[in-house]
Amino acid sequence: MTGRRVASTWAKAASRRCPAVEGGEGDRRRRPVRRRLLWSVAAVLVLAGLGAMLAAGVRSTAGQDPTAPEAAAGPATVVRDDPAPPLAGRTLAGDGFDAATLRGRVVLVNVWASWCGPCRQELPALALAERRWGGQGLSVVGIDMRDNPESARGLLAEVGARGLPTIVDPQGTLAVAWGARGVPETFVVDRSGRVRLWVRGAVDAAWLQRWIPPLLADRSAP
Amino acid sequence: MRLRRLAALAVLALLLLAAGAAAWRSVRPQPETPATVAASLLCPSCQGETVAQSQSPMAAAMRDTIAEQLAAGRTGAQVRQWFVERYGPAVLAEPPPGGLGVVLWVVPGCVAAAALAFAIRARRRRAAPAARVTARTHPGEPRDGGRPAAAHGAGRVTARAHPGELREERFTARARPGGGGRRASRAWDAAAVGVVGLVAAVALASPSHRPQETPARPVADRAATLVTLARSLEDKGRYAEAAQIYRDALRERPDDRTTLRLAFTLLRSQRPAEAEKAVRRVLGNAPDDPNAVLLLGLAQRGQGSPAATATLRRFLTLAPDAPAAAEVRRMLRAD
Repeated sequence: MTGRRVASTWAKAASRRCPAVEGGEGDRRRRPVRRRLLWSVAAVLVLAGLGAMLAAGVRSTAGQDPTAPEAAAGPATVVRDDPAPPLAGRTLAGDGFDAATLRGRVVLVNVWASWCGPCRQELPALALAERRWGGQGLSVVGIDMRDNPESARGLLAEVGARGLPTIVDPQGTLAVAWGARGVPETFVVDRSGRVRLWVRGAVDAAWLQRWIPPLLADRSAP
Repeated sequence: MRLRRLAALAVLALLLLAAGAAAWRSVRPQPETPATVAASLLCPSCQGETVAQSQSPMAAAMRDTIAEQLAAGRTGAQVRQWFVERYGPAVLAEPPPGGLGVVLWVVPGCVAAAALAFAIRARRRRAAPAARVTARTHPGEPRDGGRPAAAHGAGRVTARAHPGELREERFTARARPGGGGRRASRAWDAAAVGVVGLVAAVALASPSHRPQETPARPVADRAATLVTLARSLEDKGRYAEAAQIYRDALRERPDDRTTLRLAFTLLRSQRPAEAEKAVRRVLGNAPDDPNAVLLLGLAQRGQGSPAATATLRRFLTLAPDAPAAAEVRRMLRAD
């Protein structure tokens, strides 16, 4: 857009130059004034346009700050609708596990690690949620990312969540395949196997109470 | 003069060579190693760090993922696409061409073109007087080379060649006010006004997010820090100190959950009257919050109030499956 404006100004200036060469003294005197004016207007317009674009850019990126307001109020929840990546591996207890067997249930996938502080507060709430809604079709599965299995088992015992099936992810590749950006992070998969919620930060009882029952009630896809 | 021109040409050639070398370095085909792919992806949990640079566990996990996928025979482009599907296009360190980013490429080109055009014009203007001199010394030749461009030097050059014409040339120079110098200064003025306008536009646009952000964040962070500190004191059984810090946190940012924690620590430190006051604040906002009702019942019981039984029964009807319910039933039976 700016390029075209500059080009047209150039073209005008060039076409003006030719008659002026043959023109009389009077025409010569008027020409530079008009041309100068034209140039100034063009320069101001181009720069104002660039300024407006820059300003618009500043404004739009200001709104995208991921650490903005609601981060302090509670976990940042994003509603999505994508197919869930595969979730299989060996659990902390040493058994094989594949979430494909949980199809038809709502699966809460929580990425955690024993070195993560907020996870300590979050795990009891998750264990409680499974006890509370398990009968209605909720399963909670953990991904223990880049962790020492001993400390992970210790933490589960400490917070009374020993029964939480947790897949060992020593390299963190499973967490990356799920698109996790940090720990703790939670993905909720609906009964039809689609990721419906993505939460960065620790969830708590109030969050679970708000988001889990509606997904349990949604039986549209078995 | 000749030496100077040669030197200028040599500098120009050197610059072009360097630019060419730099361009080649950035576009030459390189084998994609895990390190180069990691350097082309941004760590999503960091601020402006690539996966190759970041020390965070997530970045380490992403490096392992990249190595795994490349070892499995996928190309660098496929691996990048895989990451874009999971983390969005913002994960790419070099965004795909298009959009507003084009301005970054177009503007320098426009500026260079304008500078070149100005340089050519200035050269032509300087060449014009010389052409005039030749025209005057050889009157028989056609004057097609002479351009009517403004030049202050014209008078003096011609004057040396033909002293008689000195007056006429000076007159011509004066008759055309606003020659090269003034026109250039006007152009600079316009550019300066434009730059001021640009800065003003940005300044007008940016305050919309600055003032909101600056005061809000430290307050939120301080309150959160205080709550964490109070919790750790609570875990150690230092309830009186924890209650004081919860109060500080509430002064920073009133919050029902923190108020309930305060009430709980006050109960634990044998101050049920204060606990009841705190709980009533929460019940004003949420009359049916089971935790608040439970704490109110316990506070009333701690003060020996007869209303305690009714309040605790209300808690049991609100949350019959709560973990504390069994304990409350036992308590009621004992009463």
